Amino acid sequence: MAREKWYDIARDLDWELSYVDYEAVFPEWMSGQGKVPREAWAEWDEPYKVTYPEYVATQREKETGAYSVKAVLQKSRLFDQLDEGWKSVAKEHFGAVALVEDLAVYAELRMARFGLSPAWRNMAIFGALDETRHTQISLYFPHGLLGKDPQYDWAHKAYQTNQWGIIAARAIFDGMMMNPNVVDVAIQLPFTFETGFTNVQFIALAADALESGDINFANMISSIQTDEARHSQQGGPTLEILVEHDPRRAQWIIDKTFWVSARLFSILTGPGMDYYTPLPMRKQSYKEFMQEWVAGQFLDQLRDYGLKKPWYWDEFMAGLDTWHHALHLGVWYWRPTVWWNPQGGVSPAERDWLHDKYPQWEEQFGPIWDVIIGNINDNRMDLTLPETLPWLCNLCHLPIGTAGSPHNEKFPVRSYPLTYNSHTYHFCSRPCRQIWWEDRDTLYDPTVIERLLGGEIQPPTVEGILTWMGLTPDVMGDDAYDYRWAKPYARTRRPQDRPGRPHGAPTPGMQPEQTAPPPGDSRPVPVNALFEHDFVTQLVVVLDTDTVEEAARKVAAQAVGRRIFPRDAGLVVRHAGTVVPGGITVAESGISALDIVTVGWAEQRREGS
Amino acid sequence: MSKSVGPVLRMSDDVDGIVAAIVDDNPGQEVTVVDRGAYTRVSGDGELRVTRESIERHLGRDFAMRQLEGLMSSFAGRIEMTSEEVRWRLKRGNPVSSGPATSGRAEEPT
Repeated sequence: MAREKWYDIARDLDWELSYVDYEAVFPEWMSGQGKVPREAWAEWDEPYKVTYPEYVATQREKETGAYSVKAVLQKSRLFDQLDEGWKSVAKEHFGAVALVEDLAVYAELRMARFGLSPAWRNMAIFGALDETRHTQISLYFPHGLLGKDPQYDWAHKAYQTNQWGIIAARAIFDGMMMNPNVVDVAIQLPFTFETGFTNVQFIALAADALESGDINFANMISSIQTDEARHSQQGGPTLEILVEHDPRRAQWIIDKTFWVSARLFSILTGPGMDYYTPLPMRKQSYKEFMQEWVAGQFLDQLRDYGLKKPWYWDEFMAGLDTWHHALHLGVWYWRPTVWWNPQGGVSPAERDWLHDKYPQWEEQFGPIWDVIIGNINDNRMDLTLPETLPWLCNLCHLPIGTAGSPHNEKFPVRSYPLTYNSHTYHFCSRPCRQIWWEDRDTLYDPTVIERLLGGEIQPPTVEGILTWMGLTPDVMGDDAYDYRWAKPYARTRRPQDRPGRPHGAPTPGMQPEQTAPPPGDSRPVPVNALFEHDFVTQLVVVLDTDTVEEAARKVAAQAVGRRIFPRDAGLVVRHAGTVVPGGITVAESGISALDIVTVGWAEQRREGS
Repeated sequence: MSKSVGPVLRMSDDVDGIVAAIVDDNPGQEVTVVDRGAYTRVSGDGELRVTRESIERHLGRDFAMRQLEGLMSSFAGRIEMTSEEVRWRLKRGNPVSSGPATSGRAEEPT
């Protein structure tokens, strides 16, 4: 008998409750009916229909395909020939994704239990089985590589740690899968995340993987996505009903989920596509893939359901030119804090490609890389490694500054603060601040900065932070190419050849007491500090007894000579919109803990000296 | 406004046959095929369909519609799937959402 003749009856099998109240079985806080009348859910109709026998047969074929390719390739030397930069794409993927798949099992099971129609609950069962498969395959494939490289251990370990990127992912995915009611889950996870974003990581990235020779990875992720294409269709029917009865809620759920997903993908996918994938193997740029899959395909979908572009759309589109470049720079500079080896990816040829794909790249990020390249070629590796942390956004947990870029008037490097209940929160962007404000009762995960300042991380040193994040010396990230991409510049572009840098002179303000206990009666004042034209704001601990000039030098020490060309010029401090005199103390200046402080160059005194 | 719809097929020996079946099943439609190695995007304007019969003819073997799932890692538009055919289309709705883009519970923070 054809499926169509019996499917609807079987699928709609349900019963009327007589021993318990409907509200006891489908409580509002789990089911999230909201303004939608109960009977409206009877209209829920999945567009991508599958029966259980069909499901089992198809999944068996998929599994056979994925595992047999793995079995064959395991006997070849293919893996050993893969590019080290490319391997980092896969390592980042496994650590960031494997156990999110497991989290998605629970999200699907919640819909399978609390979904408001039998058809929906039926489809969510398939979804839970799918996500179980994805967890297993995403753990099993890297497990086979453990003997070759301990960084693959983070496929399983990452989610058990407090590594900063994982804290960001946990905050976002808990907010998408575990905290909300299932109507919100269906709009956030299957509709926005799985229909909008996972395609970029699981299909677009497969194109780069195949070109890079990683057939196994390409085969695995594109196999996973065939399940997503089906079970993500729980989003559409839920959205259709919600749009009819409460369009404002539907629009809001999509808007906020889209924004945090875009922020997350700019670190998960962007650097891999535009820096780690070997240049000849890149199919398209991250921006081009995002335009194809998200700005094009997903936006069409949104319009088709009668919804508008999110309110921040222009900011999101502008961010395709900058966010992932800033995050790549951050991951590379803070490379001991990640479990993969980021490929610097700014050799002269790669730089030409970046300039071609992103015409503003050179102006915005080139000067910072030039300082880094100069330090590599001068063998000053100490200056290419961090001594403090970037300040992190209270919503997306990514470094503040990375939702903009240096030399960018429209979206500059700055913090967007908000004081609420006498506490100052910092955000990377207006949308992150807006979303936090709207959802402030449900979203609160302290950032690494807040945990550090709260005394949770001991000792509060770079080493202490790395230990707290779970990073051991055998897996801490280092440059994937052992810095050889910087060598061609040794003969051409040397930062120290620029005027103003006295050769061999100490970097201004390099003082080891950043994390040492303060002397005497001094009290530490942690500030969110930006050195002008840097790409992030950072945690800098000054003392209330420091003069403002001394405080400025402490801020400069974390940027000048590291990412900012030194200059023979004084420093100017700005706080609360005004210039602060250098001679007064921090206490007298009114600068207090968690304040934003900006330091820049004063008028240059001796040009070219 | 773009109204591109259609499947995205993962690498497989069957891709060419499926694409040929889609072309057959949509006479008069311009079908665009973009091959990026690991995936092939097949697009039409507004609506595309493919039938089991055409797929069988091009692959030269029996084909159950459910098997398309293993080849299709994504699609653009909304899908409708029966044992005999699959359709991808957009309904072309107009925006109904109104009011400020917030949850509605509070004003913008200062």
